[in-house]
Amino acid sequence: MKVMALIYGDEGRWDSFGESERSAVYARYRAFAEAAGDKVAGGAELAPTRTATTVRVRDGQTIVTDGPFAETKEQLGGFYLLDCESLDDAVELAAQIPGAATGAVEVRAAHEEEPS
Amino acid sequence: MKYLLLLNNDARQWEAWRGLSPEEAERLRGEEMPRWTAAMGWMAEQGIEVTGLELEDPSEGRVVRVRDGRAVVTDGPFAETKEVLGGYFLADCKDLDQAIELAQRIPLADKGSVEIRPLVEQ
Repeated sequence: MKVMALIYGDEGRWDSFGESERSAVYARYRAFAEAAGDKVAGGAELAPTRTATTVRVRDGQTIVTDGPFAETKEQLGGFYLLDCESLDDAVELAAQIPGAATGAVEVRAAHEEEPS
Repeated sequence: MKYLLLLNNDARQWEAWRGLSPEEAERLRGEEMPRWTAAMGWMAEQGIEVTGLELEDPSEGRVVRVRDGRAVVTDGPFAETKEVLGGYFLADCKDLDQAIELAQRIPLADKGSVEIRPLVEQ
Protein backbone atom coordinates (compact mmCIF):
# COMPACT_ATOMS: atom_id res chain seq x y z
CA MET A 1 0.00 0.00 0.00
CA LYS A 2 1.05 3.59 -0.65
CA VAL A 3 1.35 5.81 2.40
CA MET A 4 2.12 9.50 2.60
CA ALA A 5 4.42 10.48 5.47
CA LEU A 6 4.11 14.22 6.13
CA ILE A 7 7.03 15.70 8.01
CA TYR A 8 6.23 18.63 10.31
CA GLY A 9 8.76 20.69 12.20
CA ASP A 10 9.54 24.12 13.58
CA GLU A 11 10.62 26.17 10.57
CA GLY A 12 12.26 28.76 12.77
CA ARG A 13 14.69 26.13 13.96
CA TRP A 14 15.63 25.22 10.39
CA ASP A 15 15.99 28.91 9.47
CA SER A 16 18.43 29.36 12.35
CA PHE A 17 20.65 26.50 11.11
CA GLY A 18 23.97 27.23 9.45
CA GLU A 19 25.47 25.35 6.53
CA SER A 20 27.08 22.59 8.62
CA GLU A 21 23.95 21.93 10.68
CA ARG A 22 21.89 21.68 7.49
CA SER A 23 24.39 19.30 5.91
CA ALA A 24 24.18 17.11 8.99
CA VAL A 25 20.37 16.97 8.72
CA TYR A 26 20.55 16.17 4.98
CA ALA A 27 23.04 13.39 5.76
CA ARG A 28 20.58 11.87 8.25
CA TYR A 29 17.83 11.99 5.62
CA ARG A 30 20.07 10.33 3.03
CA ALA A 31 20.92 7.60 5.54
CA PHE A 32 17.21 7.08 6.24
CA ALA A 33 16.37 6.80 2.53
CA GLU A 34 19.25 4.40 1.92
CA ALA A 35 18.21 2.16 4.80
CA ALA A 36 14.55 2.24 3.71
CA GLY A 37 15.46 1.24 0.14
CA ASP A 38 12.47 0.33 -2.03
CA LYS A 39 10.06 1.38 0.69
CA VAL A 40 10.67 5.00 -0.25
CA ALA A 41 8.76 5.52 -3.49
CA GLY A 42 9.10 9.29 -3.65
CA GLY A 43 9.26 12.47 -1.67
CA ALA A 44 10.24 16.10 -1.64
CA GLU A 45 11.53 18.90 0.51
CA LEU A 46 9.31 21.98 0.56
CA ALA A 47 10.38 25.61 0.60
CA PRO A 48 9.31 27.41 3.82
CA THR A 49 5.64 28.25 4.38
CA ARG A 50 6.38 31.95 3.75
CA THR A 51 6.57 30.92 0.07
CA ALA A 52 3.17 29.22 0.24
CA THR A 53 0.12 30.43 -1.66
CA THR A 54 -3.39 29.30 -0.82
CA VAL A 55 -6.17 29.23 -3.39
CA ARG A 56 -9.89 29.07 -2.67
CA VAL A 57 -12.85 29.39 -4.99
CA ARG A 58 -16.00 30.86 -3.46
CA ASP A 59 -19.12 31.71 -5.50
CA GLY A 60 -17.10 31.25 -8.66
CA GLN A 61 -14.46 33.78 -7.55
CA THR A 62 -10.84 32.74 -7.06
CA ILE A 63 -9.31 34.03 -3.83
CA VAL A 64 -5.53 33.87 -3.63
CA THR A 65 -3.78 34.48 -0.31
CA ASP A 66 -0.14 34.32 0.75
CA GLY A 67 0.85 31.75 3.34
CA PRO A 68 -0.30 28.27 4.32
CA PHE A 69 -3.97 27.29 4.70
CA ALA A 70 -3.64 27.07 8.48
CA GLU A 71 -1.20 28.41 11.05
CA THR A 72 0.22 25.51 13.01
CA LYS A 73 2.93 25.26 15.67
CA GLU A 74 4.90 22.95 13.42
CA GLN A 75 4.93 23.41 9.67
CA LEU A 76 4.95 20.92 6.82
CA GLY A 77 8.53 20.79 5.55
CA GLY A 78 8.49 17.78 3.31
CA PHE A 79 7.07 14.35 2.70
CA TYR A 80 7.86 10.83 1.67
CA LEU A 81 5.69 8.53 -0.34
CA LEU A 82 6.15 5.11 1.27
CA ASP A 83 5.40 1.71 -0.17
CA CYS A 84 4.53 -0.45 2.84
CA GLU A 85 2.89 -3.73 3.84
CA SER A 86 0.54 -2.06 6.28
CA LEU A 87 -0.08 1.16 8.19
CA ASP A 88 1.83 -0.34 11.16
CA ASP A 89 4.77 -0.99 8.88
CA ALA A 90 4.56 2.66 7.75
CA VAL A 91 4.43 3.88 11.36
CA GLU A 92 7.57 1.89 12.14
CA LEU A 93 9.34 3.39 9.14
CA ALA A 94 8.05 6.88 9.97
CA ALA A 95 9.72 6.67 13.37
CA GLN A 96 13.06 6.35 11.54
CA ILE A 97 12.54 9.62 9.63
CA PRO A 98 14.87 12.21 11.21
CA GLY A 99 12.04 14.76 11.51
CA ALA A 100 10.13 12.44 13.87
CA ALA A 101 12.75 13.11 16.56
CA THR A 102 12.45 16.90 16.35
CA GLY A 103 8.89 17.40 15.14
CA ALA A 104 6.19 14.99 14.04
CA VAL A 105 5.44 12.70 11.12
CA GLU A 106 1.83 12.19 10.08
CA VAL A 107 1.17 8.92 8.29
CA ARG A 108 -1.79 8.80 5.88
CA ALA A 109 -2.81 5.83 3.76
CA ALA A 110 -3.62 6.45 0.12
CA HIS A 111 -7.04 5.60 -1.27
CA GLU A 112 -6.58 2.48 -3.43
CA GLU A 113 -7.97 4.08 -6.58
CA GLU A 114 -5.49 6.74 -7.56
CA PRO A 115 -6.89 9.68 -9.50
CA SER A 116 -5.84 9.25 -13.09
CA MET B 1 9.41 24.53 -11.29
CA LYS B 2 7.86 21.84 -9.18
CA TYR B 3 5.03 22.56 -6.79
CA LEU B 4 3.25 20.45 -4.24
CA LEU B 5 -0.47 21.24 -4.25
CA LEU B 6 -2.06 20.23 -0.97
CA LEU B 7 -5.75 19.57 -1.49
CA ASN B 8 -7.56 20.42 1.70
CA ASN B 9 -11.13 19.42 2.24
CA ASP B 10 -13.56 21.03 4.67
CA ALA B 11 -13.41 18.94 7.88
CA ARG B 12 -17.24 18.85 7.94
CA GLN B 13 -17.22 17.24 4.50
CA TRP B 14 -15.07 14.42 5.89
CA GLU B 15 -17.54 13.95 8.71
CA ALA B 16 -20.51 13.88 6.35
CA TRP B 17 -18.62 11.41 4.16
CA ARG B 18 -18.16 8.98 7.08
CA GLY B 19 -21.93 8.62 7.46
CA LEU B 20 -22.44 7.48 3.87
CA SER B 21 -22.98 3.95 2.66
CA PRO B 22 -20.32 2.67 0.22
CA GLU B 23 -22.88 2.93 -2.62
CA GLU B 24 -23.73 6.52 -1.76
CA ALA B 25 -20.04 7.43 -1.47
CA GLU B 26 -19.41 5.84 -4.86
CA ARG B 27 -22.30 7.78 -6.40
CA LEU B 28 -21.06 11.13 -5.06
CA ARG B 29 -17.54 10.31 -6.18
CA GLY B 30 -18.88 9.58 -9.66
CA GLU B 31 -20.79 12.88 -9.72
CA GLU B 32 -17.64 14.84 -9.04
CA MET B 33 -15.52 12.84 -11.48
CA PRO B 34 -16.20 14.98 -14.60
CA ARG B 35 -14.65 18.00 -12.86
CA TRP B 36 -11.56 16.00 -11.88
CA THR B 37 -11.32 14.66 -15.42
CA ALA B 38 -11.59 18.23 -16.77
CA ALA B 39 -8.77 19.38 -14.46
CA MET B 40 -6.60 16.46 -15.55
CA GLY B 41 -7.42 17.20 -19.21
CA TRP B 42 -6.40 20.84 -18.75
CA MET B 43 -3.08 19.75 -17.23
CA ALA B 44 -2.43 17.43 -20.18
CA GLU B 45 -3.24 20.29 -22.62
CA GLN B 46 -0.82 22.57 -20.82
CA GLY B 47 1.85 19.88 -20.82
CA ILE B 48 2.01 19.86 -17.03
CA GLU B 49 3.54 16.66 -15.71
CA VAL B 50 1.74 15.58 -12.60
CA THR B 51 1.50 12.77 -10.08
CA GLY B 52 -0.87 12.62 -7.16
CA LEU B 53 -2.74 10.66 -4.58
CA GLU B 54 -6.04 10.72 -2.81
CA LEU B 55 -5.66 10.02 0.91
CA GLU B 56 -7.87 8.04 3.25
CA ASP B 57 -9.80 9.61 6.11
CA PRO B 58 -7.46 11.69 8.34
CA SER B 59 -8.89 10.03 11.46
CA GLU B 60 -7.40 6.75 10.23
CA GLY B 61 -3.94 8.27 10.06
CA ARG B 62 -1.28 8.23 12.77
CA VAL B 63 1.09 10.81 14.13
CA VAL B 64 4.56 9.62 15.09
CA ARG B 65 6.96 11.48 17.36
CA VAL B 66 10.22 10.09 18.67
CA ARG B 67 11.25 11.48 22.05
CA ASP B 68 14.19 10.21 24.09
CA GLY B 69 14.58 7.41 21.57
CA ARG B 70 11.00 6.19 22.01
CA ALA B 71 8.28 6.37 19.38
CA VAL B 72 5.07 7.97 20.62
CA VAL B 73 2.20 7.17 18.24
CA THR B 74 -1.13 8.95 18.41
CA ASP B 75 -4.23 8.88 16.21
CA GLY B 76 -4.48 11.47 13.47
CA PRO B 77 -5.03 14.03 12.29
CA PHE B 78 -1.85 16.00 13.03
CA ALA B 79 -3.70 19.23 13.77
CA GLU B 80 -7.31 20.15 14.51
CA THR B 81 -7.99 22.49 11.63
CA LYS B 82 -11.14 23.51 9.79
CA GLU B 83 -9.71 22.06 6.62
CA VAL B 84 -7.93 18.74 6.40
CA LEU B 85 -5.56 17.33 3.80
CA GLY B 86 -7.36 14.97 1.44
CA GLY B 87 -4.76 14.43 -1.25
CA TYR B 88 -2.08 16.08 -3.29
CA PHE B 89 -0.77 16.82 -6.74
CA LEU B 90 2.93 17.13 -7.44
CA ALA B 91 3.01 19.27 -10.59
CA ASP B 92 5.74 20.67 -12.79
CA CYS B 93 4.41 24.12 -13.69
CA LYS B 94 5.92 27.02 -15.67
CA ASP B 95 5.55 29.36 -12.72
CA LEU B 96 3.42 30.16 -9.70
CA ASP B 97 0.73 31.74 -11.88
CA GLN B 98 0.25 28.48 -13.74
CA ALA B 99 0.13 26.60 -10.42
CA ILE B 100 -2.61 29.02 -9.24
CA GLU B 101 -4.44 28.49 -12.53
CA LEU B 102 -4.28 24.76 -11.88
CA ALA B 103 -5.30 25.08 -8.22
CA GLN B 104 -8.54 26.90 -9.04
CA ARG B 105 -9.56 24.06 -11.39
CA ILE B 106 -9.36 21.46 -8.63
CA PRO B 107 -12.86 20.63 -7.39
CA LEU B 108 -11.80 20.82 -3.73
CA ALA B 109 -10.86 24.52 -4.11
CA ASP B 110 -14.51 25.53 -3.83
CA LYS B 111 -15.14 23.58 -0.60
CA GLY B 112 -11.76 23.73 1.09
CA SER B 113 -8.48 25.10 -0.19
CA VAL B 114 -5.47 24.29 -2.28
CA GLU B 115 -2.14 25.22 -0.72
CA ILE B 116 0.69 25.60 -3.20
CA ARG B 117 4.22 24.89 -1.91
CA PRO B 118 7.30 25.21 -4.10
CA LEU B 119 9.77 22.36 -3.80
CA VAL B 120 13.39 22.75 -2.81
CA GLU B 121 15.22 21.34 -5.83
CA GLN B 122 18.69 20.05 -5.28
